[in-house]
Amino acid sequence: MYKKILVAINEFTNSEVAARYALALAKSCRSRLFLIFAAEEGIGQNAFGHAEGALVRLFAAAEGMGIEVESNTVKGATFKTISGVVREHGIDLVFTATRREDIQKRFFVRTHAREFMMNLPCSVAMVRVVEMGRTHPRNILVPLKGHLSQIEERAYFTAKLAQGFNARTTILNLSGPIKGIFQSWEQERDFGPDKHTAKGVEDFISHLEQYKVQHERRSAQGSVARSITTEAAFRKNDLIIMGASERGLFKSFLSGNPVENVLRETPCNLIVFRPGRKSR
Amino acid sequence: MQSDSIQTRKKESMSLDNKAQVLSADTAMRIQGLSKEETLKFLNTSDKGLSAEEADRRLLEYGHNEIRAVKGKPLWRKLVAQFTHFLALLLWIAAGLSFLSEYLHHGEGMLSLGIAIVVVIFINALFTFVQEYRADKAVEALKKLMPFKVKVMRDSILNEIPSGDVCPGDLILLSEGDKVPADARLIAVNRLAVNNAPLTGEAESKPMTCHPFDGDLMESPNIVFAGTLVVSGSGSAVVFATGMATEFGKIAHLTSGVEQGLSSLQKEIISVTRTIAVIALSTGIFFFGVGTFTGRGFWHNLLFAIGITIANVPEGLLPTVTLALAMGSQRMVRKKALIKTLTSVETLGSVTVICTDKTGTLTRNIMEVSDIWMDGPDTESRLMKAAWCCTNAVYAGGCYKGDPTETALLRKAREVYGDLSAELVSDIPFDSVRKRMTTVNRIKGEVFVFTKGAVETVLPLCSRLLSGGTEKPIDDCSKASLMQAYQTLMDRGLRVLAFAYKKEDVSDKEECLVESDLVFTGLMGLEDPPRPEVPEALKKCGEAGIKVIMITGDAGRTAMAIARQIGLVGEHPRVIEGPELNGMNDDELKKALVEEIVFARMTPDHKMRVVSVLKDEGERVAVTGDGVNDAPALKKADIGIAMGLSGTDVAKEAADMVLLDDNFATIVNAVEEGRAIFENIKKFITYIFAHGTPEALPYIMFALFRIPLPLTVMQILAIDLGTETLPALALGVEPPEASSMKQPPRRNSGLIDSALLFRGYIFLGLISAVSVLFVYFFALYRGGWQWGMVLPQGHLLERQASSAVFLGIVIMQIGNVFSCRSATEPVLGHGIFSNRLINIGIVVEVLLAVFIIYHPLGNRIFGTAPLESAIWFILFPLSGLLLIADDVRKRYVIRRLHTS
Repeated sequence: MYKKILVAINEFTNSEVAARYALALAKSCRSRLFLIFAAEEGIGQNAFGHAEGALVRLFAAAEGMGIEVESNTVKGATFKTISGVVREHGIDLVFTATRREDIQKRFFVRTHAREFMMNLPCSVAMVRVVEMGRTHPRNILVPLKGHLSQIEERAYFTAKLAQGFNARTTILNLSGPIKGIFQSWEQERDFGPDKHTAKGVEDFISHLEQYKVQHERRSAQGSVARSITTEAAFRKNDLIIMGASERGLFKSFLSGNPVENVLRETPCNLIVFRPGRKSR
Repeated sequence: MQSDSIQTRKKESMSLDNKAQVLSADTAMRIQGLSKEETLKFLNTSDKGLSAEEADRRLLEYGHNEIRAVKGKPLWRKLVAQFTHFLALLLWIAAGLSFLSEYLHHGEGMLSLGIAIVVVIFINALFTFVQEYRADKAVEALKKLMPFKVKVMRDSILNEIPSGDVCPGDLILLSEGDKVPADARLIAVNRLAVNNAPLTGEAESKPMTCHPFDGDLMESPNIVFAGTLVVSGSGSAVVFATGMATEFGKIAHLTSGVEQGLSSLQKEIISVTRTIAVIALSTGIFFFGVGTFTGRGFWHNLLFAIGITIANVPEGLLPTVTLALAMGSQRMVRKKALIKTLTSVETLGSVTVICTDKTGTLTRNIMEVSDIWMDGPDTESRLMKAAWCCTNAVYAGGCYKGDPTETALLRKAREVYGDLSAELVSDIPFDSVRKRMTTVNRIKGEVFVFTKGAVETVLPLCSRLLSGGTEKPIDDCSKASLMQAYQTLMDRGLRVLAFAYKKEDVSDKEECLVESDLVFTGLMGLEDPPRPEVPEALKKCGEAGIKVIMITGDAGRTAMAIARQIGLVGEHPRVIEGPELNGMNDDELKKALVEEIVFARMTPDHKMRVVSVLKDEGERVAVTGDGVNDAPALKKADIGIAMGLSGTDVAKEAADMVLLDDNFATIVNAVEEGRAIFENIKKFITYIFAHGTPEALPYIMFALFRIPLPLTVMQILAIDLGTETLPALALGVEPPEASSMKQPPRRNSGLIDSALLFRGYIFLGLISAVSVLFVYFFALYRGGWQWGMVLPQGHLLERQASSAVFLGIVIMQIGNVFSCRSATEPVLGHGIFSNRLINIGIVVEVLLAVFIIYHPLGNRIFGTAPLESAIWFILFPLSGLLLIADDVRKRYVIRRLHTS
């Protein structure tokens, strides 16, 4: 499914740490790996050198893992450059690391993260690194809720990444809040996922089983973001893979954005995954 | 690639120099398994530390090294929620209807009622908000465990920087007394030992190394964790996780992030409110229909429906419940249980499982030597001499100072042997790897070596056995009998220590030679005896259907022995130790929890998991804890109970209840109190339901038969929010009934059920209503009224009749309050004066009624008129009749209970 994977490298260590997940996935999928550093206008000497150093180290690591790899430093605006490479080479999946601004800005407005997520014509994995020293996940948490689209690709991504690290997965079914603004109806609902989630979870698991990935099921009730981060902290998960939010700005404003909240509060590294547009 | 490409590498173009920089071909590596060089490369740093510029960049990426609470709901949303829950909505509707009535029919007093209801909503909301709003002090207590300043290498220079500025990749230097600022991988150590108690709960310090380790991160001796303390030695380490990404941060995350659902009481009140809403609305709609059917006008019917609906809304429910809980918490403090969250008072009463620690809670946390093994007589003096000399404890100023085990041994030695004059020449301290300690002492000019420790480490050092006062070589037979004795003591759950000695001057000898060729002297078995009140408390739990599960860090055998001794388990319980639990999935654990079970060698993580699984199974769980890392489990449980004497500040802040005496029996007493409070709230609800019928029935008759107005809205308000308040509150302080701990925990039984509704509305309510109607017609007929006569609005006789109804309800409620003190026990069984608050409440209630009926101001506000004394003389016997009738009903109920 992923024949060509691109990793966007920048001067921050996060991007290098994030690339380690891409390396594992590329090895697992036998993909060709593109390591791209888009050097923006006015970038400092030190920052440039830092990114270049990261490219060298990652290139060497990829080669050592037997991955077909190509690295490139290209002058130009980040999104434009990456988007150009994606289109030119027919990239299937782009890995990018979050920057500080992605975490700080509400709804990711005018951030690279939003640009990548909204406009790249391929799948995108946005990595938030909070634990630099733990890039070898042993137990990956996969929270699932609501209408799940492109289940096959989601399961493939999860399974291949898990295989790359020989990790097991925990599927977390999420159900509604414990108490809402009227504090009355929600708490009496049956504990468990809604119908859509239940079906999506079953499909996801059946796909996961095809890849023989060890998995465990858990369920949680309460606010989505808090349930995910609490579960991850409690079970000592070392990576969370969650779907990108499909909420628009208005809905996010009204009822919040769980992805944004998880990005801020995650106790371990996080990958926000958006399946490719081509297959939609 | 593109034209503006600066530099391109492809796989085949890799230079040899670059290859040298590759730290490993495999990215799948764990920090604890790396060598020093690999660690530095993995974290893109060096043994000179980060550059200041790089550190700034990383600080920007990863944020400051800070422990903080997980962001919760904004305060304004919490406040809004207090105005939008179901009961508040019901009250808003009632207030709205009042204002509508005022608009439609000005001057009936509905405006005052509407305003009063809005005031009640605001008071409820603000009171509950202030109660529920507690700044997360647990996280504040966690923050105090972090250091202020840290020694860091930056640009090859040693700097002291604020702890918050530490970032991943920083090289930190640690020395004795330092707090560790972040999770870090050691790259150099010099006799470094760290106390991980805040994370693992283990009191013993852990010797550290910098060698790669192949096991789990938490077990790794080359990893230091944020919030822990360097006990001795020094070292340097590279930071790999900061702030909330550290293990300590995860404790903070779980402590502040666990989402608290509604308490059982809150759920019950929502359920009660719904029932009341249905009753109130149905009654309003029903009488609107009846009015229409009998030909009354639309607006008249509407006003009537609104009045009857409002009369059924329990405006005083929330304040009364809150005050009952507050008074309950005061009583619990007197029983050594400090309640921190008001709703926990009642939640305690519904717990189905108590997960308890052993040491200090079930036991006294005082070690005692309870058994000694020696081979024959005349050996005791040498054994006691060893215990006296080979110790870290001190006896000074009339008291013992030191570790509980050490002081227990010294105490025993002093009791048996008396004081001894011995000079300490040298010592080899205890450590957790060697599991023994040795001292060299000079006694009366002779040099002795004394060793004590675990049998498996002391016995191999011995070549002889002290038997009957003489030394003889250890053979297989003596070794077998010694091991047999050891097993016997272990089976009793004792902590067993072996003692050995030799008389030899070893001043110039190496450590290994000092501890060789020893004479095995004997064994001492120590125990932490159970608290005497615990077996009785456990028996109470058994009768009350509460399962008690011991979760201890001690070994299985010790845990089992104590559990059997106190009657917690039978002969063959299942013992699950930490490693076994790690290998179990949740389904297996759920099955195991059904059995009689003891958890041993548990860490706080295990405790949290057990609590979590129990909650998933629908149990209401109370859990005890004292350590920093117990905080998440305390938060997760329905009731977190911290130890007041031995607990850490973090545990106390995270808990819902603090045991001021660390005693398990106090938990059981608190549960009993919690059950009593739930029953008291039921009594209160019965009491307020009982006035619904006498308030509604005369009104119905007024609507149906066009009799003079029997009760105004203001008079209803005077009853609901005035005269009744104190007696209702007094029901909240009723002591637990004898049968309260003989019933199983309530699982799905709510605050109200059909029996309560029948008793309140039909039985007590109907008797009151008939009595009230009787005095109403008595007052009318005595004033010259005849059936069918229409009195002008505000006529003296109409006001007297409505005053009689008002007084009737007040006096009948006096009977009701005595009757409601128990659903099953007769009134006299309690004694009339045993609840002084009820007596005071009744006096105040009567005084208020007198003011309303006899004072001109009261008459003007409430539309009343003075009554003749005959009405009083009629009402009191009627109230007595109600008591007798309810006692008859109680006897019938008890008989039915016995036969069923």
